[in-house]
Amino acid sequence: MVTITIDGTEVQVPAGELLIKAAEDSGTYIPRFCWHRRMNPVGMCRMCLVEVEGPRGIMLTPSCTMPVNDGMVVHTKSPTVEKAQEGVLEFLLLNHPLDCPVCDKGGECPLQDQTLSHGPGESRMVEEKRHYEKPIPISDLVLLDRERCILCARCVRFSEEISGDPLIEFMDRGNAAEVNTFPDEPFASYFSGNTVQICPVGALTASAYRFRARPWDLREVASVNPLTTTGDGVTVQASQNEVLRFLGVDNDATNHGWLDDRSRFGFEWIASPDRLATPLAKSGDGHTEVSWGEALGAAAENLSAVIEAHGPGAVAAIGGARGTNEDAYALASFMRSSVGSPNLDARLDDGLGTHLLSSLAGKGEIGDLETARTVLVWAADLKEEHPVLYLRVRRAAQELGATLITVHPTATGLADRATHTVTYRPGEGHDLLDRLRAGSGDLADVRAALDEGPVVAIVGRTGLAEDPALAEAVTAFARDLPQASVLPVVRRANTYGAIDMGVAPDLLPGRVAAGGDAGHTGWEKADTSVGLDTRGILEAAADGRVKALLLVGADPLRDVPDADLAARALDAVDVVISIDCFLTDSTAKADIVLPALGFTEKEGTVTNLEGRVMKVNRIVSGPGQARADWSIIDDLAARMGRPLGFESAEAISLAIAEHAPAYGGITWFLLDWKERDGVVAPRDGVEQPLQYIPTTSLRAVGSGGAKRGGFALHLGRLLYDDAVLTRQGASIADLAPGAYAVLNPTDADRIGANGHVEVDGHRLPLRRDASLAEGTVAVPFNQPDGPPLGGSSHVDVAPGAGA
Amino acid sequence: MIVEALTRRMNAHPTDSHTMERYLETGGYEAARGAITKTRDELVETVKESGVIGRGGAGFPAGLKWSFLAPARPAYLVVNGDESEPGTFKDRQLLERDPHAMVEGIIIAAVANEVHHAFVYIRGEYPKPARRVQQAVADAYAKGFLGKGIFGGDYDLDVTVHLGAGAYICGEETALLNSLEGRRGEPRLKPPYFPAAKGLYMAPTIVNNVETISNLPYIFGEGVDWYKGLGHEVDTGTFLMSISGHVNKPGNYEVVHGITWRELIYGVAGGIRDGKELKAWVPGGASAPWFVPEEHLDLPITKDETGKQGSMLGSGAVIVMDEDTDMVAAAERLVRFFAEESCGQCTPCREGTTWLDLILQRVLHGGGREQDIDLLMDVSDNISVGLGWPPKQTTICPLGPSAVSATLSLVKHFRHEVEEHIGRGTPVTISGVSS
Amino acid sequence: MSWSEESLQRADDILARYPEKRSAVMPLLYVAMREDGYLTDDGMRQVAELTGVTPAQVQSTASFYNMYKREPVGKYLVSMCTSISCFLMGADDVLHAIEDEAGIPAGEADDEIGVEHAECIGACGGAPACLVNYELIEGLTPDKAKELVAWLRSAKPDVINADEMQALFGGKTSFDWGIREERGAVGPFPAFGPFGTADVNTDALEPGRST
Repeated sequence: MVTITIDGTEVQVPAGELLIKAAEDSGTYIPRFCWHRRMNPVGMCRMCLVEVEGPRGIMLTPSCTMPVNDGMVVHTKSPTVEKAQEGVLEFLLLNHPLDCPVCDKGGECPLQDQTLSHGPGESRMVEEKRHYEKPIPISDLVLLDRERCILCARCVRFSEEISGDPLIEFMDRGNAAEVNTFPDEPFASYFSGNTVQICPVGALTASAYRFRARPWDLREVASVNPLTTTGDGVTVQASQNEVLRFLGVDNDATNHGWLDDRSRFGFEWIASPDRLATPLAKSGDGHTEVSWGEALGAAAENLSAVIEAHGPGAVAAIGGARGTNEDAYALASFMRSSVGSPNLDARLDDGLGTHLLSSLAGKGEIGDLETARTVLVWAADLKEEHPVLYLRVRRAAQELGATLITVHPTATGLADRATHTVTYRPGEGHDLLDRLRAGSGDLADVRAALDEGPVVAIVGRTGLAEDPALAEAVTAFARDLPQASVLPVVRRANTYGAIDMGVAPDLLPGRVAAGGDAGHTGWEKADTSVGLDTRGILEAAADGRVKALLLVGADPLRDVPDADLAARALDAVDVVISIDCFLTDSTAKADIVLPALGFTEKEGTVTNLEGRVMKVNRIVSGPGQARADWSIIDDLAARMGRPLGFESAEAISLAIAEHAPAYGGITWFLLDWKERDGVVAPRDGVEQPLQYIPTTSLRAVGSGGAKRGGFALHLGRLLYDDAVLTRQGASIADLAPGAYAVLNPTDADRIGANGHVEVDGHRLPLRRDASLAEGTVAVPFNQPDGPPLGGSSHVDVAPGAGA
Repeated sequence: MIVEALTRRMNAHPTDSHTMERYLETGGYEAARGAITKTRDELVETVKESGVIGRGGAGFPAGLKWSFLAPARPAYLVVNGDESEPGTFKDRQLLERDPHAMVEGIIIAAVANEVHHAFVYIRGEYPKPARRVQQAVADAYAKGFLGKGIFGGDYDLDVTVHLGAGAYICGEETALLNSLEGRRGEPRLKPPYFPAAKGLYMAPTIVNNVETISNLPYIFGEGVDWYKGLGHEVDTGTFLMSISGHVNKPGNYEVVHGITWRELIYGVAGGIRDGKELKAWVPGGASAPWFVPEEHLDLPITKDETGKQGSMLGSGAVIVMDEDTDMVAAAERLVRFFAEESCGQCTPCREGTTWLDLILQRVLHGGGREQDIDLLMDVSDNISVGLGWPPKQTTICPLGPSAVSATLSLVKHFRHEVEEHIGRGTPVTISGVSS
Repeated sequence: MSWSEESLQRADDILARYPEKRSAVMPLLYVAMREDGYLTDDGMRQVAELTGVTPAQVQSTASFYNMYKREPVGKYLVSMCTSISCFLMGADDVLHAIEDEAGIPAGEADDEIGVEHAECIGACGGAPACLVNYELIEGLTPDKAKELVAWLRSAKPDVINADEMQALFGGKTSFDWGIREERGAVGPFPAFGPFGTADVNTDALEPGRST
């Protein structure tokens, strides 16, 4: 810390900090437009000029580029400073259209605010202002009004420095300088919405929010992004009981204020007219609306009958990752205690081992990337599945100088920042790992880099056709690297929270291994043995061992890689009960459909991929008679004569804090009032019962099915796909690119493919990518009209007819 | 008054001073051949001793600049041949007529600073000088003076000739580096991007003007004492001054500092054309505040004295205006230049220079208002706080304040002419005048 | 890849001259202009591909500089300097003469000739001066400027050579130009051998780098 004097008051600030930030953190706000605390300073707008006393007299200098040093004397409100700032503001307003009444930014506009406090009352310029065509769409989601732009370059810098897709740039020069995109090359960034949020004027606006509201009519709550597992801080804003906007919140631990566009604009499903508002009961080929009493009564009766006839193990539950931890705890309690079945799983056969996900000994945090010397990413393409983590890794490599290694069947979104891009044919990961461990051949450099700690390893399944045991082996290897910190990652929303709450065949609430001596103090009686996972449940259902399926926010027909197995299972069972927000392909087959509240409609906690527990909040009421999952489950249990006695979500949270060991002491009060960025479970001083250490020798055959064809299948997800919440968001629904097949050009030429290929008989447009390992075909998972390929690890590829 | 050092060869050999044959015949590359046998410290010390100051405009001692070079390697040398300051055309002559002097200077500078890749950045409007330089570079490669193991030793040196594409601001050294990296020629922030530490590709970089570099073969060839003996006691060596405007003999002249403006304008440049009276002159490129005969004609031309008088020698360009000159029009033309050449990066320059030009245009076209003089001064003050010298700028680089120089000079020395324009015109409050 | 084999070869040579690919953006933009006569969107895309940046980044750079013309400027681009020294010596009259003779206002072009005002071109000692395809003529008068335009229209030179034009239409020069130079420009872009934008075989100029 150093001591500096700001406007006559001495303050202690961190040495080397930029003056503008040091001043703000010690209570003096210096106006600015271009400076942003998450980007490098550029000193362009000149609004933050201050006077600094130095050896050569008093200097007028931008505070955003001036690091503090001990004894610095700063004047932020001297007549010279005020004159300079007023001058800059007048310059900025010369060509500004002042169309504030029709500007989305009006009311929350830094330029407007600065003008109110520092600005001239009227313009001294009598000449005509610059004119541009207003506004021009620069992508599907963002519009640009160049007249309002004050050329602070925040958007340009974001796209270059943060997101790495420099598609929006300064064009022309001097007084004609403008921000724009290249002709026919839109600002098609996964992160474009951030530029709208950080634009200090109304130059960049979002088509989803344009003309929808005035800022002063909005109510808002702090919450957590429901569409990723990184736990991105968000502010949810609503007006007249409708959610209108998501803003990123600068959570130091997770998203640094950024959101991907799917998360930012994907909230529109909340107000979708397709939301379920009334319980439904199967009637012929369709459903009819029924009362809650009728629906729950029938559901309880059906489940009781199955238990009676086939035993509690014939009841299984899939899902629960889309709700809160409180919902999940209720579900786990219902299944293990009320029903007495251990067959439940929040994963949809697309995840990793629950012990790895929840209870890895020495698991890392996202923040470890800030000090990493080497980053290993052997997981899904982070840009597609974990956008915010992608940004944090980019930052580590680009701004903080870490060595980045990616291991994947193809080059990933990080390729431009990766020091080493290692590719391999799916199925040969274990061999690659052996060679990497040995540092043999061309992997010697990579191996050497991995010996430079601290190492952060992000580990997951590179694709859905890949053996999840590989990630266990990679984790075992990575844990032994110097000062290693490992983050096992999966994509589906609150998977981590649901698993921690025991919605897993082999875990009890609070990270307790099932099947052991430890039970669960919250349950009087329960089956705490190891049950079936989702694949096991579906197989058991298909061959008649499971008779009743409870689907909780799950659409196995879409989400389980092996769609064929899911279909056979759903057809075979006697009873399907679904708790959901939408009538999906799967819930359409349910006997009883119970309408659920969604995100922003209920309060609770969620857990991110670090194990960070965070609070989500309610701002709108749900549609019609929709209820929270926990409340539906509690009612169902009561009607089955096996009551859980939950009175409220908060009451459940207290039960969790009391009975789920790793969550000891984590209460809503703590999260609401003390730990706004969330707390990583377990808190200091709380013991986590399970400390999982994976072994490298584990080489189980994965969930990927039979080796049918000659090409290894890489089944990765894209950010935009055909999942129900994406489909139901008007702004993003059309952004899924559709299915296609990627081949290495050598393979494409070898089989004579051109234009299209047939993958297991499904005709797909062909793309060529030289970075894809040879002998591999890559097909994105769950794209509109995409083929069901998830049942096998290898497929046949033939040239498409009529190419 | 006129001396011959830099211009000796081209004056003596008008048809082939640019060729390798003539350069070698007149003692060329001997200085470089000698330099590569010396230590870096010896070379840097010699340049420091010579007192040679940078000829690009800022007038910083070249040896001192070299001594600031950070130790990290690779380091780069960039020769600034982006001569674009209105009134300046001296580097063009050096590049066209004596390119080998610069190439030899590059070799010396490179060895002195442990540089193995040098760049010559030549403005895009100078293709002929660029061709001459490229030929000289090619010939030097062919002779083994450039490339692997120069002069048969073990020192490698590559030279790349880079052509600009029309942007005055690239003469600013950090803008030039951005340009050389394939980016917009926007000046970088100093701090932290001082070229000596974080220059080209963020590596330590020396940026020297063509004339500065071209002096080196003479300093090393003829010796420091000879060089210092040539010139003024402080501003050592000779200076190429470009004289243009209403003089009888415009052109480049090699002079030593210390002569008076009268000697330069009336002696060297042959006086004002058609026997007219001298009204004002720009003493050091378009960025410099004007001088007027009643105050400045008998002052000596030195860096310090010009600075004391609130102007600068800059790039050595003298633009002379006679009694018939409409000073509002002249000022507008200067301000327009800076408005057109502003990079647009920082607000006061982007908006302010254009606004100044719009006001001056309006005054010129009869739309002036009484309050416009105050407005000009206040807008200027918002670009160059306090309107002092050297300017206290609100901008990133000195381009914005350069537009203020002309505006301020106009109002300071020729306020009555502005008032006459305003009085003649029909005052308007709304105008469609645009650039 | 729409460029000619020659231009692609040229691009490789240019890329080899710089430690980082992006540095080749500016010289490659001249190659793009030589390919198409002016800087097209396709040209910028090609440069982006060669240098590993986005087309938007290429356009951002290109649009910063005056000499990358993103609209056709004719076969002969006449750039009349109107900065201070030329202005003092009557440049505005010369520009008007050029506009009148060409029948084109500054800033516009027909298929043959483009006219523009330029900021200082470094010919102040020979003011007023202009460039034709960046080849210089000093000491112009309005009448000589009209003759120049008429000559461009009638003679339709394939190569623009400064010495030839200076002899025909020029006057006072900034300094003694020395020996006559034969090389010249083949289009509205600077004639510089290494970029392949001059009229002569440029192989002799290759050793700009060690091999």
